[in-house]
Amino acid sequence: MSSPRWLILLLWTATLPCFALAGCGGSSSSKPGPATAENGKAGDGGSSQGSGEASSDEPTVLLEPYDPPTLDELNAKVEWEDRPVLDAMEMLREKQAGEQPLVSVEEALKLRNTSHENNAKILSALGRLPESDDQVDLDATIVRHLSGDLKSTNPIMTSAAVESDYHGVTGISLLSFDWNMQAFGAAEVIESWQTSKDRMYDKVVLRKDLTWSDGKPLTAHDVVFSFQTIMNPKVPVPAVRSGTDELRWVEAYDDYTLVFFHKEALAVNSWNILFPIIPKHIYENSVAEDPTMQNSEYHVKFEEQPVVSGPYRVVSRRRGQEVVVERRDEWSTFNGQEVRRKPHFKRIRFLVIEDPNTSLLALKKGDIHETLITADQWTQQTNDDDFYARNTKATGLEWTEFHICWNTKSPFFSDKNVRWAMGYAFDHDEMLEKIFYGLYEPAVGVFHPDAWMAPKTPPKPLKQDLDKAEELLDKAGWEDSDGDGTRDKEINGELVPFEFSIIYAQGSTNAEKVCNLLRENLDQIGIICNPRPLEWTVLQEMTQNHKFHAVMGGWGTGTDPYTLENIFKTGAERNYGEYSNKKVDELFAQGMKEFDQEKRADIYRQIFMQLYEDQAYTWLFHRSSFYGFNKSLRGYVFSPRGPYSYSPGFESIWMVKP
Amino acid sequence: MSSVPVEQPAVTAALETPSRGFWSEAWRQFRRRKLSLAALAFVIGMGVSALFAPAIAGTKPLVTRYKGELYFPAMAYYNRSWENAIFRTQDKFRGRYPQNLKQKDPESWAIWPLVYQDPQRRLYRDEWEGIPPNPTGAKGKPYLYYLWLKGWDSLFGTNYVEEEFGELLKDGPLPFNLFGATDRGVDVFAQMVHGAQTAMLVGFVSMGIAAAIGITTGAAAGYFGGWIDILLSRVIEVVMCIPALVLILALLAIVERPSIWHIMVVIGITGWTGIARLTRGEFLKLKQMEYVTAAKALGAGRARIMFRHILRNALAPILVPIAFGIASAILVESALSFLGFGDPTRPSWGKLLDQGRDSIQEMWWLILFPGLAIFFTVLAYNLIGEGLQEATDPRMRQAGH
Repeated sequence: MSSPRWLILLLWTATLPCFALAGCGGSSSSKPGPATAENGKAGDGGSSQGSGEASSDEPTVLLEPYDPPTLDELNAKVEWEDRPVLDAMEMLREKQAGEQPLVSVEEALKLRNTSHENNAKILSALGRLPESDDQVDLDATIVRHLSGDLKSTNPIMTSAAVESDYHGVTGISLLSFDWNMQAFGAAEVIESWQTSKDRMYDKVVLRKDLTWSDGKPLTAHDVVFSFQTIMNPKVPVPAVRSGTDELRWVEAYDDYTLVFFHKEALAVNSWNILFPIIPKHIYENSVAEDPTMQNSEYHVKFEEQPVVSGPYRVVSRRRGQEVVVERRDEWSTFNGQEVRRKPHFKRIRFLVIEDPNTSLLALKKGDIHETLITADQWTQQTNDDDFYARNTKATGLEWTEFHICWNTKSPFFSDKNVRWAMGYAFDHDEMLEKIFYGLYEPAVGVFHPDAWMAPKTPPKPLKQDLDKAEELLDKAGWEDSDGDGTRDKEINGELVPFEFSIIYAQGSTNAEKVCNLLRENLDQIGIICNPRPLEWTVLQEMTQNHKFHAVMGGWGTGTDPYTLENIFKTGAERNYGEYSNKKVDELFAQGMKEFDQEKRADIYRQIFMQLYEDQAYTWLFHRSSFYGFNKSLRGYVFSPRGPYSYSPGFESIWMVKP
Repeated sequence: MSSVPVEQPAVTAALETPSRGFWSEAWRQFRRRKLSLAALAFVIGMGVSALFAPAIAGTKPLVTRYKGELYFPAMAYYNRSWENAIFRTQDKFRGRYPQNLKQKDPESWAIWPLVYQDPQRRLYRDEWEGIPPNPTGAKGKPYLYYLWLKGWDSLFGTNYVEEEFGELLKDGPLPFNLFGATDRGVDVFAQMVHGAQTAMLVGFVSMGIAAAIGITTGAAAGYFGGWIDILLSRVIEVVMCIPALVLILALLAIVERPSIWHIMVVIGITGWTGIARLTRGEFLKLKQMEYVTAAKALGAGRARIMFRHILRNALAPILVPIAFGIASAILVESALSFLGFGDPTRPSWGKLLDQGRDSIQEMWWLILFPGLAIFFTVLAYNLIGEGLQEATDPRMRQAGH
């Protein structure tokens, strides 16, 4: 069951109901590389288009030929450092051994999740691993909720967050990260992992007991083949190419020993070795015939019945409705010996339900066992006996932050004082208490205060202070000079009234409420703010071309803070607000070269503080994730990315014997 | 034989009084249709309340005497700049009149709207002593519902008030949200009164535009005939093919700050074809009439003949598609707001429906009241249209008798 490697790193969150369900629909990708996370509508993002076009016309060369040194040469040249190879389930078991459940399971099942205390009680009792497999109903089928259909069962064709749940149980991943977002080698998949001292090479030795679902052994050659297929310009890879293209080469020195060659010595190179693995013996010849990997009869057959490497294999699939996967015995037993833990469920049925109201009804009826629920559903529709008859619910903090991004090149927001004034004008308490019913935490900066790279004593969350806001605006020269009730300023000889639009994604109720609160607050101090919902693609275009004054959005957490570079470095791809600060740019460069964790954390703390000082964004809140679980389920543990997208994640969940 | 003397004066009387004009006859016929008449009264009532919305619900005084001067801050609801800057940037009222007026000028007085509720924001704590703040979430139950249950309880000895409002009443007096409040705590009644403005505006402005274009085009096509008719008829056919909704969505994406006016213009410039066709037909028919020939013989100009002679007589049937058009324009605006494409700064019935969609099980009042408003308004316009049709069409009148 390895780990969910399909990480959505950064998500530019629309909070559109469906996106919210998908954990915010980003194109999920194997790497936390900055370019990996696309926005909401997965697959429509830049990388898919780029690669798609490349394949249709003249394929550009993505991978220059390379003549790797022999392993002996390499070993002579390089000083290897051992990296941890761990078993996530054992880690969780150890962690839980030190924790006592606050209430008994029976009590927890009776509790209503109405307060933080009750939530903690429910999670402490129901979130535990089984004491032994005797408690687990190993023949159980769990019905999981998918908020959209899989576009493809081929892992390298993955593009949407909804696919991550499926790939998480049918694929394997060389590396994983735990609930603190710390990386380690996945013990179920690899024997050892070493990185060169200069971070230029990663050496991974695969376990010898890995098999494909058709019985063929999984070897290092499959990994090399997957890499080359992803880098094949003729193959329209939608998302997973970015990050992978940072690798110079991947070489298999024998059936199990792999070396990954990096282009540059960077602290975060290791993340790039996380790409999906496909069977070489299936696709070796067929890719040339049908580079789309989707169209030929042969490929269609394997699209429906894919050969997979993970703990589960596909038994049936009905498009738009469901995917059923079944436990592979070869995963846990090899040559008659038990080599890995048996996954907790015999079958997993992924049921596709797009509308959140319908999925909640399905949960209440018992048609599905778990689902993401919205904040409104949490407060209003899941408190009655009807819900608690079969289910309970739990919430966990996510490191996803939401903010208003100011365009620092706009005449209104180029001045830091104005951006501070906006922060003071906004009624944060009203938002947290009345819009979000106290379910979300205030955000002050780019990292969640619990993250290892966040300042140890983060600044206090802003409070509304209209006097201060007006003072700052006066200081910045925005005064009502013509006495029409709206602040104005002379810019290039022209009197410009302070009137701007704030854009947000169409259909996002959270954004609509927040933007309207901002409008209301700014109206009080003589500024006209026009909330403007935009259709998703239009919104993307406007933000990417910096054609806006303010935009409300959110970023999910990357597993490593270097992903921020893509957002705040001068001229970076997703630096929508065109924020620019030399000091920050330099710190990002330092962060990439610094290999010591604590020193790196320090660098990113400085970045955090500088961004805060400059108020590049007005940070609003950290969103929590809300889930409804059937009462028969146990073992759910929340990470900063929800209960699934980490290690062990779904693997730890189990069903009690009836 | 006694009948002769009775009949005689009646005949002469009829001859002496001038025969009823077309319009007065139409009005007489229209008046007979009670439903249509009720619909007309409803629409007029709606129009009046829309016009005086800020006097019905708002948080800004209609008239106030402040520091020796008279002001009309409620005008801000029509146009932001009509609110005197003294309350905004100078004396920093920050949109809270009741307390600021008292504090900053104890001598001041003010005339307030009937209901102290804002269509744009929720009522906060301590805005006005004794007026409770609006709750957020699903707690903003309609006051009307409370009264209804109270009446029911006292009549039948049930205890529904306790059941439905028990928890809310524990927190103090019930906030005065006649039709309830949204999950953001914004009063539904205030939004509906101000939303009526939007609905009326959309109906009249867009159909005004449509009528102007449609009548001119139709008149030209019908009167001149020949190649002009052929050309204009093709134009009408082309415009008929343009779906207004798609055009609006495209426009909203392009315009920097889309507002209700853009929507109205688009509805107007796509919705005139029915009017044009009808006008053309009427003109084709009427230009053959003797009085037109007579006017021509007298040397009247084309424009005079078209608009003074023919149009007057053609107008009644043309009013029918206009009345129906107003109804459909209101529906389109509501639909757009429902889909989230409306003017976000303007209260609208469709927007309320949209907010009710996510929590339909808890907050039925977000669906019921605006739904009824849309239903009755559209129905009223349709009834008016139907009444007009019957009143002005002699054939239908005969058939009806």
